[in-house]
Amino acid sequence: MVDTEAQIIENKNVVLDYFLLRLKPAKTMGKIMPGQFVMLKIPGNEVFLRRPFSIYDYDMGILTIMYKVVGKGTELLSKTGKDTLTSVLGPLGNGFHVNQRDAYLTVAGGIGIAGIHFLVKSLKEKASVFFGCSSHIETALLEDIANLNPMVSTLDGSYGYKGNVVEMLKNHLETTENIDREIFVCGPEGMLKNLKTSINKNKISCQALVEERMACGLGLCFGCVKKTIDENEPYKRVCKEGPVFDLWEISL
Amino acid sequence: MGNITLKLFGKTLKNPVMNASGTLGYGKEIEPLWGVETLGCYVTKGLSMKPHHGNPLPRIWEERCGMINSIGLQNIGVERFFEEYFPFFKRKKTPIIINFFGFTEDEYIGCAQKIKPDRQIIALEMNLSCPNIKKGGISFGKEADTVYEIVRNVKAVTKIPLLAKLTPEVKNIVEIAVAAYEAGADGLTLINTIPAAVVDVNKRTVPIKGGLSGPVVRSVALRAVYECSKAVPIPVVGVGGIMDTQDAVAFLMAGAHAIQIGTATFIDPYKIPKIIEELREYLDVHGYAGIENIIGITHDQ
Repeated sequence: MVDTEAQIIENKNVVLDYFLLRLKPAKTMGKIMPGQFVMLKIPGNEVFLRRPFSIYDYDMGILTIMYKVVGKGTELLSKTGKDTLTSVLGPLGNGFHVNQRDAYLTVAGGIGIAGIHFLVKSLKEKASVFFGCSSHIETALLEDIANLNPMVSTLDGSYGYKGNVVEMLKNHLETTENIDREIFVCGPEGMLKNLKTSINKNKISCQALVEERMACGLGLCFGCVKKTIDENEPYKRVCKEGPVFDLWEISL
Repeated sequence: MGNITLKLFGKTLKNPVMNASGTLGYGKEIEPLWGVETLGCYVTKGLSMKPHHGNPLPRIWEERCGMINSIGLQNIGVERFFEEYFPFFKRKKTPIIINFFGFTEDEYIGCAQKIKPDRQIIALEMNLSCPNIKKGGISFGKEADTVYEIVRNVKAVTKIPLLAKLTPEVKNIVEIAVAAYEAGADGLTLINTIPAAVVDVNKRTVPIKGGLSGPVVRSVALRAVYECSKAVPIPVVGVGGIMDTQDAVAFLMAGAHAIQIGTATFIDPYKIPKIIEELREYLDVHGYAGIENIIGITHDQ
C-alpha cells in the first residue's frame, strides 16, 4: 500500500456520465488484486475527504479508474484536466479470490463494470461477461473487452437481451447446470438483491463487490459498513473486510 | 532540537499528539503506513462493557469544511479489546488511553472496573456524550450535577487517572468543566463532535443526524480549551478540527497539554506523523526549548 502523488494523464468522457481517468502515480502501486480500490484526492479545495474508486486497470505503472458522475466529488473530478497533480492511496481492501473452477461468470450492472473489468482482464477467455445497462449507448463501456463477446442486456431492449442482467444470467445458468462455477458481481444494491433471490436455490458461489460512502478507506472510522447475516458481527467494514464479500454472507 | 516530550499524569509521553477516539480504528489498521509507537499516546475507540453494533447507514457525510458521523460507537467491547489488541500496544511499548462509554451509570462504572491499572495505560477517557437512558436520552454530559455524580462514581472505582471528555452541546462548558474537576476528574478532553444534521433537498429527507467534526468546529473547540484550562487546574487535552501544525500550536497555546487529531487523518493518513515532526521544527524555529513552554502561553495576556 502506498500514498503517492499521481499525475492525471487522461480524463476522458466515454459516454453519458461515464469517465475514464488515467493516472501516473509517482511510486509503484505494487501487486494489485482485482476488486481492490484506491482512495483518490479530488483536486482542488472544494471537497476534502478522498473518494474511493475501484481499480479498473493497472498496467505499466498506469492506474486507470472508470467512474460515473453521481455527486459533487465526481462532478469536480470530471472537470479536472490533464497534467493535474493529485494523490492516491492504495491498493486497499480485499479483492476477488479466484478459486479453481470450471467456469467464471462475471456480472456487472452499469458502472459496476468499473469493479469487474480488472478481473475480466486477468481471467481473459476464461471469463464469461454479463453486462446490464439501460440502453445500447452504454455498450460503449465494453469496447476494451469486446473481444470476450460480453453478453449484454438493456432495459429498453435497444441491444442484446431485453430486460435486466439477472434475468439474462438466470437463463444462462439454467442451460449450463452441473458445472462447477463461480459468479463475480458488481452493481447496484437492488441488482445484488435480485441476484441473491434468483440464484438462492442453487447456492452458487458468488463474490460481490460492494460500494459505500467512505471517509478513510483504511478501516479507521467504521463509516462504510455493510450489514451481514452474522448476528455477532452485523456490520463489517467495506474498506477493510470488503469491498468483496461472499454474497451469501451479506444482508441485502 | 526542541524537546516535544511532556509529562501527563506522572508519565512521560514522547510527544503531545494523540489520535481522537474512533479515528484510528483499533490501532493496527494504520500499521501499513506508520506505527502507533509514533504517537505520544494512542486513544482507543470508545469501548463499552459489551460489544456494541452501532448505527445503520449512512454513517458518514461530507459537509462544507466538516464531516458528520453517525457510527454509533460500534465496538467489540472492553474485554475483547484487552484480549485481542492490548498485547499489541504492550509489545510496541505504546502508551494508551482507554476511551469508554455506557448508556447507564452502571455501564460506565462496570466498564471502568474492568480496566485494570497498567503502566502503559495513561488514563481512562470517559465519553460523556452518550444518551442517558434513565433520563430519557439526555446526554450524561449536559448537566453539571449529572456530570459531577457520574465522574465521582466512576472515580471511586478506578485508580487510573480519569479524563472527562465533554460535549460542547451545553449552555456553559466552563460550569461543566468545573463540575468534572470538583468530582475528581484528573483531566478534561475538549471537545466532542457537535450535533448536526443534513437535509437532502431533492428527496426531502434527513439522511443523517450525527456529530460534526473537522475544520468547522475548530474555533468552538479552541474557545472551550482556552476558557476551561483557565478555570480548572487539571490538564486539558484539546480536540476538534486540528488540521495542521499551526492549529496544533494554537490549541497548546490556548492551554491544551496535549492534542488529538481526528478528521485530518481521513484526509491525509500521514497527518499525525507530519504534525509531530513539524512541532519539533516549530520549537526550533521559534527558539522554544520544549513544548511545555508554549502550553497556555495565551493565559498570561
